[in-house]
Amino acid sequence: MPTRSLLFTPLVLALWLHTSNAQEKTVTGLALPPDAAPYAEQVLRIPCNNSANAVTFDFSVSVYQPYCGSNFFNDPLVTFDKALNPQPGAAESWSVADDGVTWTFILHQGLMWSDGTPVTAHDYVATFRFSADPDHAWDFAWYYTFVDKGGIKNWDEVIAGELPVEALGVRAIDDRTLEIITKGIFPPLPKIMKYAYALQKKALAEHGPYYNNEPATAVSSGPFMLESFDHGFKVVFKANPHYKGYRPPRLARIEGIYMSPATYFIAYLNNEIDTINFNDLSPADFATIERDPELLANYLRPGLIGTDYVFFDPHNPPFDNLDVRKAFAHAINREAIVKSIYGEIKAVPAHTMLMPGFPAADITGDLTDYQRFDCGLAKEHLAKAGYPNGADFPPQVMWLRNENPGIAAVYQAAAASISQCLGINIQVSNKDNKVFMDALHERPTKIALGSVAYAIDFADPINLLGIWVSSGRHSWRHQRFDEILDEASNLIGEPARRDSLFHAAERILVDDVGGAFIAHRWAGDLWRPKVRGASIRDPGPNDTYGSHSGNDWQWGDIYIGKAQ
Amino acid sequence: MLIYLAQRLLALAFVLLAVSMIVFTLMHSVPGGPFDTQQAKLPKAARENIERKYGLDKPVWQQYLNYMSHAVRFDFGIPYQQPQTTVAALIGKTWLVTLQVGIMTIIVAFGLGITAGMFAAYHQNSWVDNIVTFFSMLGVTVPNFVIAMWFILFFGVTRQWLPTGGWGKSGDCLCYDLLCSDWILPVLAYALAPMAIIARYTRASIVDVIREDYVRTARAKGLGESKVMRRHVLRNAQIPMVTALGTEIPNLITGSIFIETIFRINGLGKFFVTSTLNRDYPMIMATFLLVALLWGITFMLTDIAYTLIDPRVKLGAKKEA
Repeated sequence: MPTRSLLFTPLVLALWLHTSNAQEKTVTGLALPPDAAPYAEQVLRIPCNNSANAVTFDFSVSVYQPYCGSNFFNDPLVTFDKALNPQPGAAESWSVADDGVTWTFILHQGLMWSDGTPVTAHDYVATFRFSADPDHAWDFAWYYTFVDKGGIKNWDEVIAGELPVEALGVRAIDDRTLEIITKGIFPPLPKIMKYAYALQKKALAEHGPYYNNEPATAVSSGPFMLESFDHGFKVVFKANPHYKGYRPPRLARIEGIYMSPATYFIAYLNNEIDTINFNDLSPADFATIERDPELLANYLRPGLIGTDYVFFDPHNPPFDNLDVRKAFAHAINREAIVKSIYGEIKAVPAHTMLMPGFPAADITGDLTDYQRFDCGLAKEHLAKAGYPNGADFPPQVMWLRNENPGIAAVYQAAAASISQCLGINIQVSNKDNKVFMDALHERPTKIALGSVAYAIDFADPINLLGIWVSSGRHSWRHQRFDEILDEASNLIGEPARRDSLFHAAERILVDDVGGAFIAHRWAGDLWRPKVRGASIRDPGPNDTYGSHSGNDWQWGDIYIGKAQ
Repeated sequence: MLIYLAQRLLALAFVLLAVSMIVFTLMHSVPGGPFDTQQAKLPKAARENIERKYGLDKPVWQQYLNYMSHAVRFDFGIPYQQPQTTVAALIGKTWLVTLQVGIMTIIVAFGLGITAGMFAAYHQNSWVDNIVTFFSMLGVTVPNFVIAMWFILFFGVTRQWLPTGGWGKSGDCLCYDLLCSDWILPVLAYALAPMAIIARYTRASIVDVIREDYVRTARAKGLGESKVMRRHVLRNAQIPMVTALGTEIPNLITGSIFIETIFRINGLGKFFVTSTLNRDYPMIMATFLLVALLWGITFMLTDIAYTLIDPRVKLGAKKEA
């Protein structure tokens, strides 16, 4: 007996040593990195806004009412890398036919739903049809109208109920081949397919569009699946063992903890959550972050995300006068506003709509002078417009769109800078969101002077410049601008010429002062040091870090590191 | 009494009707609609489709009649914020939690507020009175969301004595989940303002009564101080207290967006704000009607309480010539 024990002991010891040294694997069979914590500890805790108006996890059901952790249950056709270039998502490749409008997307082989059935092009077709269904009344239906030529064929007619959903320019050639026909030639179409998520055709038919709201009916083709959902308290996602897509998860679970955004930072300091988005950090929180080296090192900024600007009603006095608009543009002390109101961690001064790092942006500073802060020049323009030293200039009210105090302060500072420089009276009025948007969209607009921001939807200049075309968001109109944008958006195979056309269009925009640009906002997230992964920790272009726009591949990349 | 109650209920029905008309008119007069989105206006045809789907394409008076004809059958429609449920189901689910918070708050606010007010009145102008007055001023002047943040920072983050939120889901519970540690901070933060008001009203009412001749007479008769307080002072001080304090109850049982969001309580309070901001017409109507109903019932119960406190009060009695 003692001899037998002596024989077994080295075997048991060797087995124990082998298992303790082996790298742990995830539910999809992926080995965790050597510096990862044990798989049982691969839990990321994210904050969820408990006062948000939310109804669904699925983009194709509602874009403006998303639950916390939305879009974990399906993969988009296309994703973006750190330089915002389109990369294969659910689609492994895509191509456009000679007609320039017929696009073919080939799905990856073997994509699976969590119920064991294959993901097919028919699921994407069903989802597009559901999105366009007039009875669904999708809140993002405007998007394929907004992208104009990039819109899907017959989109407008289908959402209006004039044509059946079957007439939509989307069809499945076979289980893996999806064909999308656009209204016109639109080279950046793959970029907008970042928003093409699939609902499961079968679940949609059996349980309706909210099937993912209940664990019993939820079905996922994304990296995570719904484990439990106590709305307003906690939502738990677990790694999907059937996942075969481009972002197999290293995390075992993601826990969404509902709380007020006002308490996110306290919860982070109290070790209750692992990340906070910049939108949910107050100026006071930023002040704390900037004072603490560890917090500052873990506040990761992936790039500039949007632009704050002043806009006008250019069809009525006094802003129908270009000199008045130029006076306003030159009277905004952007550097001071960024330094003292935003803080340099949150923004950079803007003289254009396209932010540095964005395709076709003005990296040489060629357009800076058009709206450079120069109070003397601003006064000259105002005098030329017939208002020397601001005399007889009608008092103005600058409308804001229900901005939080931090952003409202930026626009108040812009108004104060203009008032102080030009000797005119500008009051700021922070309006209810719906009141603001209703007035903005009226034609002619009901807002004589306003300030607002616009953030990236997709990484193409047409996205940010498109809001300035005659049929766009603002009342400013310029025929040549429209023509150039139209030409640029159709151009295939000449990227340099395309960029130069956008640059020329932007020159018109800043010179004719469609808007007076104030600042480009940095995106950013505060991460707990133990959260690792190349998607957020490795540098991107221009030495940026963190969760960049369209970075849904991070959910297959990030993991929890071993305690140091 | 029964006739009086019937009259009051009828009057309440008219009040609800008037409230419904006013709210319906106002919410349709405000610019911006429920389906205006952040970034761009919906295409005209799509907008018309949505409006048709929700009956918003009809004239406002017709929409009102449609709404009321359903509302009298307790069908309050589909909330635009959560179209997978009904307004009645959403209110039923969330109001239960809010009621729980409200009732706990009422117990704490009334219990501590009346006790503090009595002590302050009895020890008028003493240090006890000064302390009660100080905390009353603090409770009335500092908003509950500020107090909530102080509580979270001190008791939750710094000391880690209590959970920072959850309502029965993140703390320890006792007595078959009838008392939970994560109830303490929200209830105290929510109760502080009404407690302060109650303490001030109680103090003022008792100070008024304590100077009356009949109290002096009772003391002269040799009655013990506790009996004087119980039989003569408190009993007579109750009517102004009930008048003033009864109105706190509807406020407390319909919730607070601040307390509910800060302490992660999934209650009804937030819908009073989000419904208006989102132009969620069915939810706006239902929440306003609920508040009007609760106020009507509270006033009716207050009147009934008068008859119990003071036998001289007769409800519905005609004035004698």
